[in-house]
Amino acid sequence: MEASSRLQKAMTAPSVRKLIAAPEFGPLVLLIVEIVVFSFLTSRRAASDPFFTIFPSFLSATNITNLLSFTPELGMIALGMTLLMTAGEFDLSVGSVFGFAAIVMWTFFNTGATSLEIGFVLAMLISVAIGFVNGWFVTRLRIPSFLVTLGMLLVARGSALYITDGFPQRTWNAGQSVLSAILVGEFSIGEVRIYASLIWFILFTIIMHYVLVHSKAGNWIQASGGNAMAAIARGVKVGRTKVLLFILSAMMSAYAGITSSIRVSAANPNSGDGYELEVIAMVVIGGTALAGGRGSILGTVLGVLILRVMRNGIVMVGVPGLAYKIFIGAIILGMMVLHSSIERRTGNGR
Amino acid sequence: MATGELVRMEHIYKNFGSVQALNDVTFTVGHREIVGLVGDNGAGKSTLIKILSGAHPATSGQIYFDGKPVEIKNTWDAIQLGIETIYQDSALVPQLSIARNLFLGREPLTGPKWLQRMDKRFMEEQTRKLLGDLGITKYINPDTPITSLSGGERQSISIARAMFFESRLIILDEPTNNLGVEETHRVLRFIHNARDRGLSCIFITHNIYHVFQVVDRIVVLRRGKKVCEADPKHTNIDDIEKVITGIYDTLPERSAG
Ligand SMILES: Nc1ncnc2c1ncn2[C@@H]1O[C@H](COP(=O)(O)OP(=O)(O)OP(=O)(O)O)[C@@H](O)[C@H]1O
Ligand SMILES: [Mg+2]
Repeated sequence: MEASSRLQKAMTAPSVRKLIAAPEFGPLVLLIVEIVVFSFLTSRRAASDPFFTIFPSFLSATNITNLLSFTPELGMIALGMTLLMTAGEFDLSVGSVFGFAAIVMWTFFNTGATSLEIGFVLAMLISVAIGFVNGWFVTRLRIPSFLVTLGMLLVARGSALYITDGFPQRTWNAGQSVLSAILVGEFSIGEVRIYASLIWFILFTIIMHYVLVHSKAGNWIQASGGNAMAAIARGVKVGRTKVLLFILSAMMSAYAGITSSIRVSAANPNSGDGYELEVIAMVVIGGTALAGGRGSILGTVLGVLILRVMRNGIVMVGVPGLAYKIFIGAIILGMMVLHSSIERRTGNGR
Repeated sequence: MATGELVRMEHIYKNFGSVQALNDVTFTVGHREIVGLVGDNGAGKSTLIKILSGAHPATSGQIYFDGKPVEIKNTWDAIQLGIETIYQDSALVPQLSIARNLFLGREPLTGPKWLQRMDKRFMEEQTRKLLGDLGITKYINPDTPITSLSGGERQSISIARAMFFESRLIILDEPTNNLGVEETHRVLRFIHNARDRGLSCIFITHNIYHVFQVVDRIVVLRRGKKVCEADPKHTNIDDIEKVITGIYDTLPERSAG
């Protein structure tokens, strides 16, 4: 009885209430539930398999290695998208830029025009240009970002296909380059293999969280998405803020695409297809508002993990991978209900 | 230029394509003067003050501030002059806290050069002080998002913000929209306060009865033209109403004194 009253007291302590009311709380619980459920289900199956080979456990080193290889790449795109969406815009061209940037770099390299490093710099510069064009069309010509970035999606994808005639680019001599070591060098912690891309992802996460929450730029980003008119009236450079965020989004996508092409040793002109919707789903699951004004980098990291763990986990427990989309859809809907109910409860009294 | 004038907008024209929103309007605001700008829907009130606050340029005309000709190309220019605008569709960002709104665009910074962050402690201290000054009696946390404040509280905070940054001219576009009687009075008291501290104010509204209580001078716009100016102390309120709606072309003799 004493324990229950103590629990009650703990539940009503301001810090605990704040934690529960935080938009990241729901996603955090969901992620934990996912991990527990998948670990439990797969460990039972693994136990029935004497050689641990056909049904590896969810928490096995192989599987964690697997999970941590691709997650940072999508995650980087999602970080850029989070800031952009907080400012009230979004970017459908991320998947195409993901594929296109890698093609650009490898084409420069394979034709002998430049070293891999120079090719990387050129590909990043092209992504800056793409982001700038997106931002310029949206802020100056006042065309909705849906249309502008849909156009850019097609232009970038089309360019990648045109440059390559639709064929994958050779990538096998990346192994020795400095660039590949910096971007995706491997090392091991115990039996888990870690790519450098995970370190970069964590670094980017910390920087962007700091920027969004503590910096003046973060205040401007939120204000741009929350009430652009009011922000402009206060001298906030809303247009410039948005252009820079479109550039950031394109750069993160290009960086992720190049990282991915080195890691899997393949630069396919079709890679990144459909990532835009998956990334937007991750961002909104994490509590960032589609309409702008409110965003959370930590929420996005949780959103990224929720969807990646879900995709990985349901395959491992034996649900056909094709059913994955049903689960994502259900998660999105569930999380939106949660976020809107929290919003209604905390404020928004009018 | 008369030295008593803070702002003088001279022969302002504004066209939106074929729509002539303003037609040769000359408009002035004195030091420590509250000017009521009234007129029907679409008369050009918002257009006129948007030119002054840098939201869009005039097609032609000249603006003087403190007797000196100035060019107001964007909102930043207006802010530098000390012109603060509170728009009818809310001047605050609803998702941000009171403290963040208060310092929006003028965030105090702290920390080393490359890791500068907002000085949140300072922001919260100042916000708490300001909320006290406002006479908002119930305790409000500086962290509170704007969405959980009432309309009157929001307006008061917008005005307080302008006073805090020592603006010289506050422009309120329909500030009493959607407010209850009590809240409206609070905002009006606030405006009086502001004037006593040396500010000038342009107050735009449909409700002539609001204007009558607070302003030093009334300017009436009709279809892009200034049709009359009047001192409310010597004017009959019904006459002004008739000028606004176009029943009278301009004020009759008995009122115009
Ligand atoms: N951005 C714009 N583009 C085209 N026409 C505009 C624009 N802004 C205003 N107008 C036109 O200019 C005229 C004056 O509009 P304005 O907003 O200044 O009126 P107002 O006096 O503020 O009216 P209200 O009391 O309804 O707010 C109207 O005919 C309006 O349709
Ligand atoms: Mg108006």
